[in-house]
Amino acid sequence: MTTPLTIPPTSMIADRRNDGRAPLPDSPERLKSGNCEADYILGGGFPANSINIVMGHPGSGKTIFAEQLIFDNASDDRPILYFTTLSEPLAKVVRYLQGFQFFDETKLGAQVIFEDVGDELAKNGPDALIPLLRQAITTLSPKIIVIDSFKAVHDLASSVADRRRMVYEMTALLTAYGTTAFLLGEYTEDDILLYPEFAVADGIVEMSRRRLGNRDERYFRVYKLRGSRYLEGAHAFRITSAGLDIYPRLVSPRIPEGYEPASERISTGVVGLDAMLDGGVWRGTTTLLAGPSGAGKTTIGLQFALEGARQGEPSLYMNFQENPSQLMRTIRNLGADPDEARSQGLDLVYASPVELQIDSIIVDMFRRIQQGRVRRLVIDALGDLASAATDQRRLHDYLYALVQHFAVSGITSVLNLETVGNAIAGSGMQNAVSYLSDNVLLLTVDGEERTRRALRVLKTRGSAHDARVREIEISAAGVAVRE
Amino acid sequence: MGHDHGSKAIILIAERDRSVRELQLFFLNNEGFIVEFADDGQSALDRARRDPPALLITEILIPKVDGLTLCRLVRDDAALAGMPVIVFSILAAAARANDAGAAAFLRKPLVGSTFLAAINGAMMTTPNTTIAVAGVR
Repeated sequence: MTTPLTIPPTSMIADRRNDGRAPLPDSPERLKSGNCEADYILGGGFPANSINIVMGHPGSGKTIFAEQLIFDNASDDRPILYFTTLSEPLAKVVRYLQGFQFFDETKLGAQVIFEDVGDELAKNGPDALIPLLRQAITTLSPKIIVIDSFKAVHDLASSVADRRRMVYEMTALLTAYGTTAFLLGEYTEDDILLYPEFAVADGIVEMSRRRLGNRDERYFRVYKLRGSRYLEGAHAFRITSAGLDIYPRLVSPRIPEGYEPASERISTGVVGLDAMLDGGVWRGTTTLLAGPSGAGKTTIGLQFALEGARQGEPSLYMNFQENPSQLMRTIRNLGADPDEARSQGLDLVYASPVELQIDSIIVDMFRRIQQGRVRRLVIDALGDLASAATDQRRLHDYLYALVQHFAVSGITSVLNLETVGNAIAGSGMQNAVSYLSDNVLLLTVDGEERTRRALRVLKTRGSAHDARVREIEISAAGVAVRE
Repeated sequence: MGHDHGSKAIILIAERDRSVRELQLFFLNNEGFIVEFADDGQSALDRARRDPPALLITEILIPKVDGLTLCRLVRDDAALAGMPVIVFSILAAAARANDAGAAAFLRKPLVGSTFLAAINGAMMTTPNTTIAVAGVR
């Protein structure tokens, strides 16, 4: 029995903390963040009536996160109050806010109230915040309060004792009143151990940014969320006109009860290869197809995907080198009609690993898998995916989780891997993915007067296979194993 | 019962949290109520027996006599029969508050509109709230 892949992210990303223990007692009502992926990471959103710190360097996206949250929650019942302090002037905050799709001018003034308290704080110090909050609470009854930046208020305190006192008073007031508070600040991870606001906060989330070559990678992380499960780790995100586009970290799925690997073999679409594999590959398995450039990997991958389409199985071909037009040409050269293949369920996707984070590639892939009810998948090629990953450990974790997801969901996959020479490296990513895969096929290219290509089955988990080195030919009909 | 010379109702609150007290005082004064505070259940009971206020609001977690015991003692005292009790607590104890005879249960934190609605509701459904008694400050 195979389990169909359900809508991501809840299916593709299992909560590692959800290890079968009993649900947390008296789980609080949740405040949505305005971002469904963030809500998923947060276990449903922020607990209502909590105090939360949103931290990050300037430009990290914390203000955008808060703004998206407040506009998503704006309603007629109780207003939302956004205090700007001594960081960015209110005029600047509102100016840039208008560039986002979630901004709704009609909500300003009644449902969303922006108030600049910078002057008051500058004149009277951090203790002025408490009466300001009290007045706001008693006159406006806000359901959400954002203080941007709270770090700026913190910095006004002339001593540690003053700071602690101010934080204590504020916490007491915000705890007494039914409101959910967000304290924004340009804090770093080291500050968590030093400052009292982190001890009293119920939730701490961070938006970080690091440079990778010519591009920046952004991550969303939950450090703390009292009384709530959340998805740990760094989750990549981008800033778009819609707000934050977050890609929850992929983790291995829970194996559903009653799960059993499929007992059905499916055709590879390559003449002679099914026989080498004792009738084809098991459904739900992952096959590593390795070999040097020109060995035939892309062609075999396309044949596999086209065979799926012919069989009525939606197939996804993820390609990082040839754009769709080039792939279309290759398909025509194989004697297939690309339009017909598309109508049968072949999805050709090109993504540039230079521009994208691996997280966004993976999320996009899973969205397509879900929407297209994909049964076959080809990744061409893993080396390109590796170049999109800044952290090889992260790549390994992704690959492991991917293989598990495919197995549980009954998706049969082919992962193309370009080798240097005719061997798979004995270490690193190549070795790791070879270990993870159910089947390993190695293509070789040699010959001086005439190029000779061959295929060898190195491994088939749970199956017999032809262990001989078999010569293959590439013709107009594609790759075929010679008799 | 529970009014001063100007017919303003007196509400007695057994609550220790300063921030909660401040908010309760603000909202209730705004509505024209006079508010008195007690630091613990025993002093609240003593105050109520001296001159029953129009309403008693109590947190459960208070010293000497906890809020639920206070509620039961009020219920069992014939002289205090006309005084409604609202339990307003950080604990999720609605069922226990009901068993103790509370007129209403509210969960903290305080939200002005909800708080006032519960008070008005409790006072409207309880007999003898219009009896005028010489105010005790």
